Amino acid sequence: MVEPSNSPCLVVNGLVTGYDGRNVLTGISLSVDPGELVTVVGPNGHGKSTLLRAISGLLPVRKGSISLNGRVISGQPAHRVAANGVIHVPQGDLLFAGMSVLENLLMGAYLDSDQAAVARRLEEVFTLLPKLAERQTQIAASLSGGERRMVGIGRGLMMNGSVMLIDEPSLGLAPIIIEQIYEVIARLKASGRTILLVEENPARVADIADRIHLLDNGAFVWSGEPAVLLQRDELLATYLGG
Amino acid sequence: MEIIGPVLVSGITTGALYALATLGLSLVWGSLGMLNMAHGTLLTLGGYAAFTAASQLGLPVPLAVLAATAVGGVIGALIFVLVAYPLSRRSPETFETTIMIATFGVALTLENAVLRLYGGQPLGQPLSVGGAINLGGFALPWQNLIIVVSAIALMGATALFLTRTKAGRAIRATAQNPDAAKLMGVPVARVYLQVLILSGMLAGVCGVLVSSITQLSPSLGADPMLKAFIMCVVAGLGNLPGAIITSFGLAIVEALVQFLAGARWGFPALLAIVILVLIRRPGGLFGRVEVRRL
Repeated sequence: MVEPSNSPCLVVNGLVTGYDGRNVLTGISLSVDPGELVTVVGPNGHGKSTLLRAISGLLPVRKGSISLNGRVISGQPAHRVAANGVIHVPQGDLLFAGMSVLENLLMGAYLDSDQAAVARRLEEVFTLLPKLAERQTQIAASLSGGERRMVGIGRGLMMNGSVMLIDEPSLGLAPIIIEQIYEVIARLKASGRTILLVEENPARVADIADRIHLLDNGAFVWSGEPAVLLQRDELLATYLGG
Repeated sequence: MEIIGPVLVSGITTGALYALATLGLSLVWGSLGMLNMAHGTLLTLGGYAAFTAASQLGLPVPLAVLAATAVGGVIGALIFVLVAYPLSRRSPETFETTIMIATFGVALTLENAVLRLYGGQPLGQPLSVGGAINLGGFALPWQNLIIVVSAIALMGATALFLTRTKAGRAIRATAQNPDAAKLMGVPVARVYLQVLILSGMLAGVCGVLVSSITQLSPSLGADPMLKAFIMCVVAGLGNLPGAIITSFGLAIVEALVQFLAGARWGFPALLAIVILVLIRRPGGLFGRVEVRRL
C-alpha cells in the first residue's frame, strides 16, 4: 500500500524528443503522484508511445528532464532506468516470442536476485491473472492476443518498480477482452500502484483515471478530470481536426 | 556393405565439427544480426594456440585445450569491443552489412598474422590420438570418437547454459527482442559481449578438434566457416537445434556422395541441396522468414 505523500513519484518537465530530424513531442510536462492513475489520451501518431519510450530511456531526451522519486533518470540508458524503478509495458507487448510464458515472466524479475521475493511476486501475478498459471509452459508466440497482453502486464508486474507505464492496453483486442484487461488495470490501481496509462480512446479510461491529459500534435491541449474532458470542445477538435 | 561403417564414421565426425562451428556462428548471427566473417579465423587461432601450448611450451593436453578456448574467447571479446560495438553505435541501420565487411577485414588481418608467425607450411596438431577400436567389420579411430563426444558434450553444455541459467535466458531474451530486454533491465551490450566470448570459446575448441584430424594451416577455419554458413542458411537463422540436426544430416550426405561419386562431388552436392531448400523454403528448413531469434 502507498504511503500518503506530497512529493510526486514521476515528474516529466518540458520534454522534447523525436525521431531523426523531427521532434514528436514539443514540450511535455506532467507528474504522477504515488498511487495515482494518470492517463494520456490522443489519436494515433501524436506521440503517446513516444512519451513512454522517452521516459523509459528507449528514446533519447532532447530537452527537458524526467525524474523518478526525486532522482533524475533522463539521459540514462533503458536498462538503468528500469533498475531505477520504471516499469514499461510496451505497445504490442514486445514479448520474448520464442520463450514460454513462465520464462517471459521470469525475465521481468531479471534484476531481482532475491529468489523468495520473485516466487512471491510470481504467485501474485498468477492470482491476478490465473490464465497465465494455466499457460505457463506454452510458448508466447502461440498465445492469443489477449493472453499475450496479459503476459506483457504480468511480466511488468514481476519487476520491482515504483511506476508502471502501460502503452495502449486495448490495442488490437476484441471489446470483451479489452474489458477484462481494464478490469485488471482497475485492480492494479485499487492495490495502490502508481500508473501512467496511454490510450487512444478517452471513453475507455474515463472511469478509472484520476487525471487525463489530452495529447495533440506533440503537446497537451487540455488536462484535468476525466468527467470534464468528455464535454470539452478540445476533445472533438483533437480527434476530428478543427 | 562393410564400407557403410567408415562412411558413416566420417560423415558423423565431420557432422560434429560442422555442428560445433555452426553453433558458434549461429549464436552470434541470431542474437546480434552479425555474420561474423572472422568466425573461421577464431577456429584457426584456437588450433594454433593449442599447438603452441602443447608443442612449443610443453603444456599438458587439458591446458592446451584451455589455451585454445581462452584465445578464442579473448579474440571474440576484442572483435566486439573494438569492431562490432563501435560500428553498431555509429550506424545501427547499416550494421548488418558493415559488420560483414569489417569482420572480413579482421579475418584477413589475423590470418596473415598467423602466416607471419607460424609460416604457411602445414603443421601437425600434437593433440591427436592414434589407434582405433575394432568393431568387427571396421575400425573406429579413437580420434573420431573423441571429436564426436567432445562436440556433443560442448553443444549439450551450451544448450543447458542457454536454457537453464539466468545469463542464458537473458541471451535468448536479448536475441528475441532487444528493446524488451532493455526494459527488463538487461544490459544488452554486455549480453552481446558474452555471446561473442561464448562463440569464440566454442570456436577455439572446434579449431583444436578440426586440426586434430587434418593439419594446422592458416586457412584451417575457412572450410568449417563456409560449411557453418551453409548450415545456418539451410536450417534457418537462429534455430540452434535445427542447425545442429542439419549439420549432421548434410555431413552424412556429403560423405556418402564423396564415397559414391568421388570426393570432388561432395561440395557441389551440398550447394545443390542449399539451392533446392531455399527454393522450397526461403526461411530455411526450421526457420521463419520474417524473424531472427534464438
